[in-house]
Amino acid sequence: MNISVSKATSLQPASVDPITLEIIRGALRSAQLEMGSLLERTAMSPVIREKQDYFTGIVDRDLNLLIGTRMPSGGRVVPPVLKQFPISEMRPGDIFLYNDCYATDGAVSHSPDMVFVNPVFIDGKVEGFVFAWAHFLDIGGSHPSSTTPDTENIFQEGIIIPVVRLCENGVINDDILRIFIRNSRFTEIVRGDTRSMIAAVQLGEKRLREVLGRYGTETAHKAFSALISHTEQTVTERMHAAFPPGQYKFADVVDDDGKGSGPLAIRMTMESDGESLVLDATASDDQTDGPINFLMSSVIPSMVFGLFMTADKPDLLPNEGLLQCIDDLKLRPGSLLKPKFPAPLGQRATVSRRVHTTCYGLVGVADPDAGHASSSAYSLGKISGLREGSEKPYLKTMGFGVGQGARPYADGIDAVYYIAQRNFPIEFSEMNFPVRIRRYGIHRDSGGPGRWRGGCGIVREIELLGDDASLMLRLTNCVHPPFGINGGMSGRAGRFTMNPGTPQEEMLPMLAEGVPMRCGDILRVETPGGGGVGHPFDRPVELVLRDVLGEFISVESALEDYGVVVDLDNDEVDLAATKAIRRDRRWSTKLVHRNGYYDEDAWYEASYNLKDAHHA
Amino acid sequence: MSLDELSTDPTFSLAIDTGGTFTDVSLVDRSTGQEWKAKVPSTPDDPSRGFVNGVRSVLELANVTPERVSHVLHGTTVATNAILEMRGAECALLTTRGFKHVLEIGRHDIPRQANMFSWVKPQRPIPPQRIFEITERMSFDGQEITPLSEEDIREAALRIRAKGIRSVAVCYLHSYANAAHERRTREILLEEDASFQISLSSEVLPTYREFERSMTTALNAYVMPLVSDYVGRLEEGLRAERIKDARLLLVKSNGGVTGAATIRNEPVQTALSGPAAGVIGARYTGDLSGEQKLITLDIGGTSADICLIDGAEPAITTEGSVGTWPVHVPMIAIHTIGAGGGSIAYSASGGLAVGPASAGAVPGPACYGRGGIEATVTDAHLVLGHLPEHLLRGAMTLDKDAAMRAVERLAQKLGTGLYETARGIIDVANNNMIGAIRVVSVEKGYDPKEFSLLPFGGAGPLHGGFIARELGMKSIIVGQGCGVLSSKGLLIADLRSDFSRTLLLRSPYDDLSQLSVLFSELQVQAMAWLKTEGISPDQAELRWAAAFRYENQGYELDVPWEGAANRESLMAAIKRFHDQHRQLYSFDQKDAPVELAGLRVSAVGRLKKPDFKTVQPDAGDARTGQQKVYHAGGWIDCPIYDRSLLATDTIIPGPAIIEQMDATTFVLAGQICIVEESGNLIIREQR
Repeated sequence: MNISVSKATSLQPASVDPITLEIIRGALRSAQLEMGSLLERTAMSPVIREKQDYFTGIVDRDLNLLIGTRMPSGGRVVPPVLKQFPISEMRPGDIFLYNDCYATDGAVSHSPDMVFVNPVFIDGKVEGFVFAWAHFLDIGGSHPSSTTPDTENIFQEGIIIPVVRLCENGVINDDILRIFIRNSRFTEIVRGDTRSMIAAVQLGEKRLREVLGRYGTETAHKAFSALISHTEQTVTERMHAAFPPGQYKFADVVDDDGKGSGPLAIRMTMESDGESLVLDATASDDQTDGPINFLMSSVIPSMVFGLFMTADKPDLLPNEGLLQCIDDLKLRPGSLLKPKFPAPLGQRATVSRRVHTTCYGLVGVADPDAGHASSSAYSLGKISGLREGSEKPYLKTMGFGVGQGARPYADGIDAVYYIAQRNFPIEFSEMNFPVRIRRYGIHRDSGGPGRWRGGCGIVREIELLGDDASLMLRLTNCVHPPFGINGGMSGRAGRFTMNPGTPQEEMLPMLAEGVPMRCGDILRVETPGGGGVGHPFDRPVELVLRDVLGEFISVESALEDYGVVVDLDNDEVDLAATKAIRRDRRWSTKLVHRNGYYDEDAWYEASYNLKDAHHA
Repeated sequence: MSLDELSTDPTFSLAIDTGGTFTDVSLVDRSTGQEWKAKVPSTPDDPSRGFVNGVRSVLELANVTPERVSHVLHGTTVATNAILEMRGAECALLTTRGFKHVLEIGRHDIPRQANMFSWVKPQRPIPPQRIFEITERMSFDGQEITPLSEEDIREAALRIRAKGIRSVAVCYLHSYANAAHERRTREILLEEDASFQISLSSEVLPTYREFERSMTTALNAYVMPLVSDYVGRLEEGLRAERIKDARLLLVKSNGGVTGAATIRNEPVQTALSGPAAGVIGARYTGDLSGEQKLITLDIGGTSADICLIDGAEPAITTEGSVGTWPVHVPMIAIHTIGAGGGSIAYSASGGLAVGPASAGAVPGPACYGRGGIEATVTDAHLVLGHLPEHLLRGAMTLDKDAAMRAVERLAQKLGTGLYETARGIIDVANNNMIGAIRVVSVEKGYDPKEFSLLPFGGAGPLHGGFIARELGMKSIIVGQGCGVLSSKGLLIADLRSDFSRTLLLRSPYDDLSQLSVLFSELQVQAMAWLKTEGISPDQAELRWAAAFRYENQGYELDVPWEGAANRESLMAAIKRFHDQHRQLYSFDQKDAPVELAGLRVSAVGRLKKPDFKTVQPDAGDARTGQQKVYHAGGWIDCPIYDRSLLATDTIIPGPAIIEQMDATTFVLAGQICIVEESGNLIIREQR
């Protein structure tokens, strides 16, 4: 059975009055907010409740997305359910569950993302769907947390659940639940999170039923398509303005897959004939043995561009209108973006962030003044061990913020893990795990210099107080830091160091599982900064001074990178000296910067010669 | 003289509520309940002038000598505005070595509703160059890991002084578990410079989560010089008016009042002072009609404040925010949205949107004739006939033509009819408010059908009928003086302060000794505060609450704690926790262990309430006129009444407009309004 999504513009033109439209827009928004707040309040896994690694949304009866999350993650999560359970077999009170990445063509792209789908019935007919998916803490597999750099195939990344009916009549199927949670190292948490997810989609279902009941399904559906076409029109217009007829090429690079296959490149060509946009990513490198393969749903690049193009339009809903701006996406089976079953996927964020940066690199190629600089992928670490005394296993997950790329109108954001994904308070971590945080601050000088500075990464030092434990680590863009654009320079690398400043000091790998950590060891994490935008000598002097005083950049970097002479004894700038330096030492720039400036073609070509450069 | 004696003496209370445009002052004779009111222009550059002007006017009006005033009660927006407009003082922060950037990093996230490409990090109230790292460290259970470096503090003090900074915040890791280092830091700072104003996180917010505690403490320091100077000017002004022995009491965000000394130390407690006073006044109005389940809706010019009251007290939150920042001190759970009478309607992406941009007081809605040309909610009401053209018995005339022109311009953009558009503006504004009501009710497991709506503020009773109908609410209660309900709230507020502490107690709860120690410490703290506020034991009340969560959850629910610190009370509280979790979230988890995360005690000092007199109607015909109102696509006749002439038990079928000096009530066709003996109007759907 082939389930396709009809293109929103092919729907009937909407004729809904503006008032009803606004009210329905508000109702969709608040339904989604409510689902999210229920999850944050009740979920047990810190990954969901504190880190907020969850997604909720609503889909109409034609499977058009009505509201999703403003994050380019995940594909269409409802069609795979219909493949297994035709609408005629669905009943009110059903909730479906799955996490099968390959069988769903990347609806979710690594196994811990558990999808819950609730059909919404009006008068015995399915009129829409509510979904929620979230990253579960641990679903079995070879190592705690299931996603580990160590795997060779997806079977080592935890239980794979095909689309199953988890709830019938609103009542949970206890047999399925028991099989599922028995596979986890953290049964109580996974059970609690499953309950929260069910409560969230049931709440969303109730809200969608209220909207449909209040306005009638036909009026509501007209409003839905109007809301979709508003978003779609803006995205389409702006995409064609950004990409006039022609061909645009860009590439970005991943350091490694944890098994020595790196560096690896994502290569994209955008081609416009003025009518349609074709994105060809077939030149991207081959899939890898290590689990950084990104089984990319076909809607991901559209969503990246869609969010980019609507950044200044908060009133447009993140809906189907974001998902269709690329008319044709070409992917090559066996490549990093379309790996073959059963290649491992656990660390795919490493590659998926490069897909994002390659997309806005393309925007920069088409118009250097519009391009954004690059950001590292979010970085993380996990400590697993046994609690002293009780010998119960624990898993301390740690997300580390990185510096974000600068924009042509603002600095990059300092120290951000990802949208809406929050750090664990130090006081919470120390209360609940055998660790002491000795330092948590801004990683000075990590942000790429530019008229707009790249955001800075962070520094964190963690001491293990309990029995010996095992570490999982991930840090990207350390060999190939996030690029700068339009004169801006690349961000600067990060590193993991064990016991810094002691005779036992040791550099750790960037992507690894099973690194031993002994009681009393101190792990120092330094994360990379984002790339800069524009020539650093054009950065206003007072901003450079502020950055020095706030310890975002050093006095040396102010001089070398920004041409600004800061007098720290008096907290001021030597303006005359600064003027002279900025006049005499100003260098010329090209489009992209990373270990030197490149123009468009040289940059793309360089992505083929990285290995040689790397090993040289 | 204790407050106890004061409250029985034949003395007077003054209440001053500072609003954006006007300062409302009430004087009440506590023995007779007689009340006098004055309205003077607010003085936003220094609100204390409006305050003093108002005090003078009302005393003159009542011909009462200043010596007879025993209480001066005040709701202030000084702290609120300083935070919202980022106009606080330059201040410094001392923190644990290694953690200078906690405020900068925040929770390392971009807000969920934001777009990752366009979001820009907001500037912190204290930049890192004014944050000083001090060598010291406590563990989560309050043990000293690294002793406090006194040299570090003295060196920081020198540098802070050199920068001319007066206000200093101190926030060390885990100080909620052991405040010794913070307290010693204060001693040393004061030795170095006795004029420092110091905020300790262990006093402002002694609970875990270092970013939120740091930010709340930083904001306390940020507003302290402003609030402290302001309070000083109020005291000075009162002395100049010969009000000498009266106690100045300010409203805190938790709805209680407290003495000026406490406010000087913890000014961030007044971040929601103004709206909190309104909620207390609304609760009092509901009480008059015997309604304990209320949703209060305060609609002003630019915003609407919504609060749910289930039972005697409004809910308190410890996870609130002001502007962009978390302010985790106890605050009445008020939900604020940018929708008010001055909210501007515009065309957005093919839809009709209303607010949050507002025409404010200047230029105001188009119909005010002060140069506003954009259509606002008030203009739409006028176009539809919900408002008479002549307000306040002719004291104010609205420009209906200007309102029509403004709405017509928008109608042309949208391609809709004039009246349809005006009705749309009202519908969209109502819908925004309904959405906000859902946040405090449905989302928290409460059904609005069981609640009465209590609209107040100048524009509240214009919208109440529509909103209550849409939500199927039980009734609408419109109190006397509903346009100036905050003053009423001030006069009946109790003294109140909340004390909370973090404590982690896990199943199977074998050792309750820590719990009882904490109970007694909090009790001592609470009683000491009541004593300094002059409250005698028979007026004092302690209300206990405990915060519970299922093991592994990250958020707690506060449930009432009854009885002593023993196993029996604990088990009863845990049962309440399961029930509350089910009510809020639709499920409970009796198979999961429950942990206690903290304790809170609210110390309440009951003040004798004035016995407000019911205003007797003047004799005469209350019906003063009639006009057409837009209804279901056509026009129907609608009588206009003067509220001050309405006799008790009068029954008015809708549609009807009921005017009073401070507000206008619109009764919809199909609704019926009854004038209660209490003076409240009760509006219900006609069955």
